[in-house]
Amino acid sequence: MEMNKIESPEESRKLLDKIVFDLTRSIVKKDELTRFWFFILIVFAGVGLWGWAIQIDQGLGVTGMRDYVSWGMYIANFVFFVAFSLVGFLISSAMHLLNIHWVKPISRVAEQVAIAGVALAGIIIVMDMGRPDRLLNVFLHGRFASPIVWDLTVVTTYLTISVLLFYIPLIPDLALLRDRLGDEVPKWKMKIYTILSLGWKGNAKQYKTVYHAMRVLMILIVPVGLSIHTVTSWLFAATLRAGWDTTIFGPYFVAGAFVAGVAAVIILMYIYRIRHGLQEYFEDIHFDKMAKLLVFVSLVYLYFNVNEFLVPGYKMKTAEGIHLSNIFSGGYSLMFWSVQISGLILPTILLLFKFFRKPLSLVIISVVVLATAWLKRFIIVIPTMEHPFLPIQNVPENFHHYAPTSIEIMITLFSFCAAILIISVLAKFFPVITIWEYAEEKGIDKKYLSEQPKN
Amino acid sequence: MIKKLTLLIVVILFLSAQQGISQEWLVPADKQSIENPSDYNLENVKKGKDLYMTNCKSCHGDAGKNNSLALVPLPPDIASETMQANSEGSLFYKLSNGKGLMPAFETTLPEADRWLLVNYIMNYSPDNTPVWVDLPPVKARLKATVNTVNRLVEIFAEAENKTGNYSNLTETPVNVCVERAFGNLPIGQVLTDNEGNAEFSIPENIIGDEEGFVTVVVSLGEDFEAKKVTVEKLKIGIPKETPKLIKKGVIWSTNENIPMWMLLSYLGAVGGAWLAIIYVVFQIVKIRRLSKE
Repeated sequence: MEMNKIESPEESRKLLDKIVFDLTRSIVKKDELTRFWFFILIVFAGVGLWGWAIQIDQGLGVTGMRDYVSWGMYIANFVFFVAFSLVGFLISSAMHLLNIHWVKPISRVAEQVAIAGVALAGIIIVMDMGRPDRLLNVFLHGRFASPIVWDLTVVTTYLTISVLLFYIPLIPDLALLRDRLGDEVPKWKMKIYTILSLGWKGNAKQYKTVYHAMRVLMILIVPVGLSIHTVTSWLFAATLRAGWDTTIFGPYFVAGAFVAGVAAVIILMYIYRIRHGLQEYFEDIHFDKMAKLLVFVSLVYLYFNVNEFLVPGYKMKTAEGIHLSNIFSGGYSLMFWSVQISGLILPTILLLFKFFRKPLSLVIISVVVLATAWLKRFIIVIPTMEHPFLPIQNVPENFHHYAPTSIEIMITLFSFCAAILIISVLAKFFPVITIWEYAEEKGIDKKYLSEQPKN
Repeated sequence: MIKKLTLLIVVILFLSAQQGISQEWLVPADKQSIENPSDYNLENVKKGKDLYMTNCKSCHGDAGKNNSLALVPLPPDIASETMQANSEGSLFYKLSNGKGLMPAFETTLPEADRWLLVNYIMNYSPDNTPVWVDLPPVKARLKATVNTVNRLVEIFAEAENKTGNYSNLTETPVNVCVERAFGNLPIGQVLTDNEGNAEFSIPENIIGDEEGFVTVVVSLGEDFEAKKVTVEKLKIGIPKETPKLIKKGVIWSTNENIPMWMLLSYLGAVGGAWLAIIYVVFQIVKIRRLSKE
């Protein structure tokens, strides 16, 4: 650990004050734009909820899903959000355990993404049910050998761990907010900080407990994080359907999840950097490193893609052949090739050049990567369902193909707004960087953290 | 939708055209006047009736009861004016050649049988004295026991005679059925002897329920008003094979026969993760406690 200890107390206090000021400015500041942002999110989420009300009232017939394609945009969206959330495991656990220092300021952003993603993944599953009240039946009559039960278990577990991994490193920061923000925030907010900071004193034993609990969670999240997306992939791979019947779906999904998650974290970092003026915290070097990480995970994902499509494409077994022709050169070919080229191959090549690893160009590439990541899940879920082993016959024309209806789009819109809302609320309430950890990295001794500021 | 409508219109036109034509089902004059080669007597009418029961009743119904099948055109009751307006030659021509839904029986019945059918129809002609009269069902009593060792159904039947007393029912067919999920399956018929007794030997190949139990139902024909005798739970059948849908030890089993390693892996993984989570929650409590030191 490179620790450039700052000897002079004045210097330490001055630097700490600056860090606290910079990272809490967004919490303290009251501005119209933030209010408008929340207003817009709540309105659009409300519109989506209205769509859900219509769906509950009239049944799943309002969606484009029929007897053959019974998993539509909701399930594709579910897979996307599970994927999106997995970056919490990669950055705040795996890379922390590997002692990679530059990720430390990014880990809270990654946890925000993880919480929002996995919470929405759970909600989307309920929204995909025609009778949400029957969710209870999974607990009452679920089979322990069913991937659906495993999925429900692992989503709940991962959400709990992600919340804890967000909260525990937050405790010393909450104490800082409690001690330093004073009248700058409303009383109710201060009350929340006071309660959540658990009366933190900052003694050595407390820090030791925080480190210990964080370490337990980081280790625990490795198997749970891998499980969440592996089990999600098994929902598909455990069935005998062309396109899903593959043994590499677990690692294929995990690799794809890292691509989506890293892109999401880059976008958030950029927004915080610009919006909250955190250029000194989310530095160019962080973007450069994240870009390299994105290249690395994209290459891994590309490797799995080659395996996933080249091997069955070489053999073109009957049913598999129909499915593959449909996505290579049939109705889904435009979507498929634009996803593979603009979401995977092109970003990987571009990011090899230093120029594209600069914040602005990187964030543009990340937006494309994230959008195509969503479309990729659509391609994984829907085309397979349009090609059952028994031919589709004697059914209405609209059973043959799937197209999402406006209700489905409304509900999907809700999921996006709700996810962004969760992230926005977390960013509005708590510092986006772990202050105490950051201060420590900058060489400020912990004793200054628990000092009461002299106003 | 348009296709369906067109089809519907075509079907309606076709059926109504048929109905229109059926009222004037013309029979060539030479065919109308052909005479029935078989005599009109009880024996021939009875034979005709048996043929009617197997070949015609399903559509035309019982004579005089106007209970024919609701087809378009409606199959006329054989006692009706429409039917009886035909000469014997015309009847023979029509049932031989058929039209529309009415089959051409010359392909399935020999000529002699078709004339016997005409004899039965003529039984209801206003010009003839009926030689066969449908009597109201006779009150009867039926007793049946099943000897599972000898696999015999032992039957005794008696019927009410003209004086109002019951006497042995002789030379009468008794139907033996086994109960199935959607009705009774006939397995045979047996005639009563001079003392009203009958014995029916149960075939070896009757399939029973999962344990081989069979329910036997014994009844008299339509000419009698008698309660059916139902003998339940007889161990005379072959046990029904019910293949298990999910075999033991299959990885995707139901909870009843889930492989132990699968259950333990699931519970172990979930239990382990949640124990660790509880441990972390305990650490949070510890942090709070340490604040008070």
